[in-house]
Amino acid sequence: MAVTDKMPELIGKSPLRVDVHGKVTGAAIYTDDIQFGKNLLYARVKRSPHPHALIKKIDTSKAEALPGVKVIVTGKDYPQRIGLYLKDKNIFATDRVRFVGEAVAGVAAVNEEIAEKACELIEVEYELLEPVFDSIYGASPDAPLIHPDMGDYEVANFIFPKPGTNISNHFKARKGDVDRAWKDCAAIVEKSFHIPQVQHVPIEPHIAIAKTDDNGRVTLWASSQSPFAQRNLIAKTLGISESDMRVIAPYVGGGFGCKAGVTMEAMPVAIALKAKGHPVKMRFTREEEFYTNFVRQGLKIKLKVGCDKDGNMLAMENTMYWDGGASTEYGVNITRAGGYSSTGPFDIPNVKTDSFCVYTNHPIGGAYRGFGMSELHTGIGQVMDELAEKIGMDKVEFLKRNSIQGGDINVTGMKMHPIGLQECIDKVAKGINWGVKEKASSDNKLRGKGIAISWKAPAMPPNAGSSAFIEMNEDGTATVNVGGQEIGQGAFTVAAQIAAATIGLPMEDIRIAGPLDTQYSPYEWQTVASRLTWSMGNAVRFAAADARRQILEMVAEAWDEDVDDLDIINGIVVSYRSEKEMSLKNIAVYGIPKEDDQGWIGGPVVGQGSFMPSYVTGLDPETGQGPRAVVHYTTGAQGFDIEIDKDTGKIEILKAVTAFDVGRALNPELVKAQMEGGMMQGISSAIFEEIILEEGVMQNPSFVDYRIATTVDVPRVMETYFVEVPQDDGPFGARGIGEHPMTPTIAALGNAIYDATGIRLEGPPFLPEKVYLAMKDAGILD
Amino acid sequence: MISYHQITLKVNGETEVVNVPANMTLLVMLREEMGLTGVKNGCAAGECGACTVLMNGEPVNSCMVLAAECDGAEVITVEGLSHNGQLIKLQEMLIAKGGVQCGFCTPGMLISAFALLKRNPDPSENEIREALVGNLCRCTGYVRIIDAVKASVEK
Amino acid sequence: MLYRRQARRYNTYKRKKTMLNPHPGLPEFTYVKLASLDEACGFLVEHAGEARLISGGTDLLVRMRDKAFKPAYVVDIKGLEGTDVLAFDPSSGLKIGAAVPMNRVVAHPDVQKHYPLLAQAAKSVASYQLRNRATIVGNICNASPAGDTLGACLLLGGRLNIYGKDGERFEDLVTFFKGPGKTSLQPGEIVTSINFPLPEKGATGTYLKLGRNKLSDLAIVGVTVYGFPDKMTESGFRIKVALASVAATPLMPPVVETVLSENEITEDTIQEAANASMDACFPIDDVRGSARYRKEMVRNLTRNAITEVWGQLQSRTENGLEANR
Repeated sequence: MAVTDKMPELIGKSPLRVDVHGKVTGAAIYTDDIQFGKNLLYARVKRSPHPHALIKKIDTSKAEALPGVKVIVTGKDYPQRIGLYLKDKNIFATDRVRFVGEAVAGVAAVNEEIAEKACELIEVEYELLEPVFDSIYGASPDAPLIHPDMGDYEVANFIFPKPGTNISNHFKARKGDVDRAWKDCAAIVEKSFHIPQVQHVPIEPHIAIAKTDDNGRVTLWASSQSPFAQRNLIAKTLGISESDMRVIAPYVGGGFGCKAGVTMEAMPVAIALKAKGHPVKMRFTREEEFYTNFVRQGLKIKLKVGCDKDGNMLAMENTMYWDGGASTEYGVNITRAGGYSSTGPFDIPNVKTDSFCVYTNHPIGGAYRGFGMSELHTGIGQVMDELAEKIGMDKVEFLKRNSIQGGDINVTGMKMHPIGLQECIDKVAKGINWGVKEKASSDNKLRGKGIAISWKAPAMPPNAGSSAFIEMNEDGTATVNVGGQEIGQGAFTVAAQIAAATIGLPMEDIRIAGPLDTQYSPYEWQTVASRLTWSMGNAVRFAAADARRQILEMVAEAWDEDVDDLDIINGIVVSYRSEKEMSLKNIAVYGIPKEDDQGWIGGPVVGQGSFMPSYVTGLDPETGQGPRAVVHYTTGAQGFDIEIDKDTGKIEILKAVTAFDVGRALNPELVKAQMEGGMMQGISSAIFEEIILEEGVMQNPSFVDYRIATTVDVPRVMETYFVEVPQDDGPFGARGIGEHPMTPTIAALGNAIYDATGIRLEGPPFLPEKVYLAMKDAGILD
Repeated sequence: MISYHQITLKVNGETEVVNVPANMTLLVMLREEMGLTGVKNGCAAGECGACTVLMNGEPVNSCMVLAAECDGAEVITVEGLSHNGQLIKLQEMLIAKGGVQCGFCTPGMLISAFALLKRNPDPSENEIREALVGNLCRCTGYVRIIDAVKASVEK
Repeated sequence: MLYRRQARRYNTYKRKKTMLNPHPGLPEFTYVKLASLDEACGFLVEHAGEARLISGGTDLLVRMRDKAFKPAYVVDIKGLEGTDVLAFDPSSGLKIGAAVPMNRVVAHPDVQKHYPLLAQAAKSVASYQLRNRATIVGNICNASPAGDTLGACLLLGGRLNIYGKDGERFEDLVTFFKGPGKTSLQPGEIVTSINFPLPEKGATGTYLKLGRNKLSDLAIVGVTVYGFPDKMTESGFRIKVALASVAATPLMPPVVETVLSENEITEDTIQEAANASMDACFPIDDVRGSARYRKEMVRNLTRNAITEVWGQLQSRTENGLEANR
């Protein structure tokens, strides 16, 4: 497939976003904005008040008698299990509830209030069971079983559940000989950290509408990162053929992972199957969004690292207990990602990793921007900081000496592709003026600096694919059809840019077909894993090259010239040989008339492209070793210069700097916007955020007590840099950058706090209270 | 028992007469009775700012106002900021500076910023940050939104 | 090895056993707008226990969604006589009607000039758009221990104008608060305004609030300090403190005032006053902070607030500003 070798002009420029006009005028349509008319029913959910209990009896008779109630469904109606990597979840609980807030029944009524009242009238009899609230305890033989039938669950071949326990995945990595290596270490650091669950907090809460036609075909409108995965999972579970299920996904008001896979979308479908002809709308309240939505899993991580007297890393032992919650259908793969990335971006010859996904009676863990990497690096970034100090080496020098580089063999035995991590470290070190101890702004402040590095690979099945097609229009413009979603990251803009650059059109001549609709849009696995620019970008590039080839062949025939002498520049086909020119207008649809009315050449141009990595291999279940665990890693660094108020413990970030190797920044402003937003989300999670659970009950399910960063919390100075070491199979060399900027944040801030105070906290959030009381207890305050 | 109220109000310059139940908020009325879906529902508790509209010239959380209270009021939503397809400078700057990602907070953010520039045509960065503190955004990290408001100041 | 649930967290919370699960919308009720205070009062008496007043609604509507309040009637006080007044009289002081939103108070030139402490406290509440609805009187009637404006209103000598079936009465704010959400209001009574006397000559004050975010959050701890020259005291000054979020009602520990009146004001006496402030409060552990941390913060913020106010008082005295006021 011929793709122009020289870098097109549009690549590396920052044209404006293609989705933005409607978003600033209020015209952009989100799922809740679609009008369904008077036939619409509203669904609400009866939820479990208990963390762990058997359902003895559900009595819906009073609710059914309530005027306005149309349909009530319970787990009895749908005993089938659903799940992405491990089918361990029911749409509505069947015999047992496993977390506070689990759906027990669904009601559709003529309005939300009546549906809500009906939920209150449903009587559920429970037999309480002993709950599990701790992942380490949950993994022990003492813990009561949360999924006694785990052995019967359908599971992907790279996930290893341990039936008879609460461990739903155990990923092992064994490299070298850790036990022997400790003897050679001049310095060893051992530390444990606890990273609590956090919530995604998109500003748009979850919403989905489902409708069943007379012929049994189902349409689902959803705020979704994954229309195709939802079609696949829901259809399979409910016994619908994939082609009889259609998912329409308008703009998404923030995803961050929580609108990936299937979270709540199967519920309105299950209800709508029994309410034929009625669209059934289910929208979460903000409070439901907080306590019933998938969470970022909690993690307890124990680390032991050692280096020789020159500061060369020799060994790491990493044991992770992920608090997977009540179902781990998605979370099992976070555990796997934590395992195969368990060293962080460090070159370590001897490694022993055990990553356990553990069922608890906590909210369900799922995909969250970073997919385990923020949690993992919280531990790694901080033990490396201490190890450098213990061996007496400058911390930046230590990072540079030990960070992984192209050609190194990583923890799973994969040979690293070229990366620009060293340059990222340099940029961040320079940005925070590393090595210079700076004075605090007043006597009651402590100042400190911290730096951390991270990596992340797209975590997905080995064969996650993308496809695209491009139709040329009469007016010479091109409509780009993709199945990847615009969730704010700029996917549509990058797709347009790649298409324009590849065909030879100006940016304004590209239209993106939308909303996504599985009936018309080409397949895309999911909009997750920072994979779209790379994977979907390849599909778009191939489709555009295909369209370009068709156009050039048509014109070459008409002009009787060689395709190689032709080019398309700004929508005009030009010949470098004859210097002829022809606009794309009309010809790309109607073709070109032959001279003297002797027939036609060409016809409607439709380019198609698809991409799927074919080289990812399985790993040995006992050692985690294999030729290529993942497609690639995006690597980078982050640093902070902070002050801590001795009177309150409050952290003020004076300067935040980050740098990532993005392969090629196709649209530098969009790349920087991802780095700013991601770093800020990281900061927010590091200093504010925590799902406070007491006996399984979330204590802060609203914005009043689940605080996120606001305008006033943004550091005065934020600097973002990108480094470009091209990805061999990325479009124009690009790699993803969506998730990475928040992955080193907690560790870098933790290191800055340590630098300022000498205190190492067990985990985020670094609330003023924690920092203050730790300083007080350490005798730092007068 | 629920009461119903016939109210007359001006929305984006048009006079509207609506019959609203007592428990209907201004947010629900704008979205569901008038189809002004640019007004977003993010929390229904006065915390996120996505539903911010101008009421009698001042920004309010429309989820925290009863429709019945709006008799005689003048309301402007994000749909009423631009006229005949001509964007106002704030909208243009938000585009130019890259202050939009998912776009869900954008309508409320624009209304808050619009109100700020109306009452304070030359705000400092601190004043911009303080004026927007009630509009949560999870995507942008706010940096480019603040830049856009700065760039909208008519010097 | 046996793994057991870790020891309790750094912070013991007042546990909520059941999940907060508000309705998507508001429950059904009847919205009532009446022509006069008399009618409104009559309505409240007739529907005692079933009716609630709405002014800005920023608290009421949230609690109605939460199902904490289930009024059959919501009575709008906006438009009732006197509730819209915001007026300063150089001889008698300031009057703020019950329906005056906080932003109007903050922006009023006379408030900024004569009661900057009140403006500062009001400006610390939530967000700009919320303050377009929230009112000072609403903040007071909610009687939340965390209320940001309560300390300023107390220290500035606020007095409520209360309308009831027997006519009008006045009550000093200091006796008004009875507990979280509890006040001395009798059935049928409506607070129509809060009134402040002229500030003391040379007075100054500050409100230091510790929230999780720099702005917009509720107070984990709030410390209001108000001071003015007073020739009757040993120190020559009178400095008072009010504390938010550290007891069931806003606290004004008299001991702080005593320490700073009866002794020369120095770093040491300020520290002593701060310690006394800490000892006088009895906060609880909750989701926003532990009692231990709150106590420490009361001490530190009281010290900082007094130091700030003391600095201002001194510079004014030195510059002879006192005489000009």
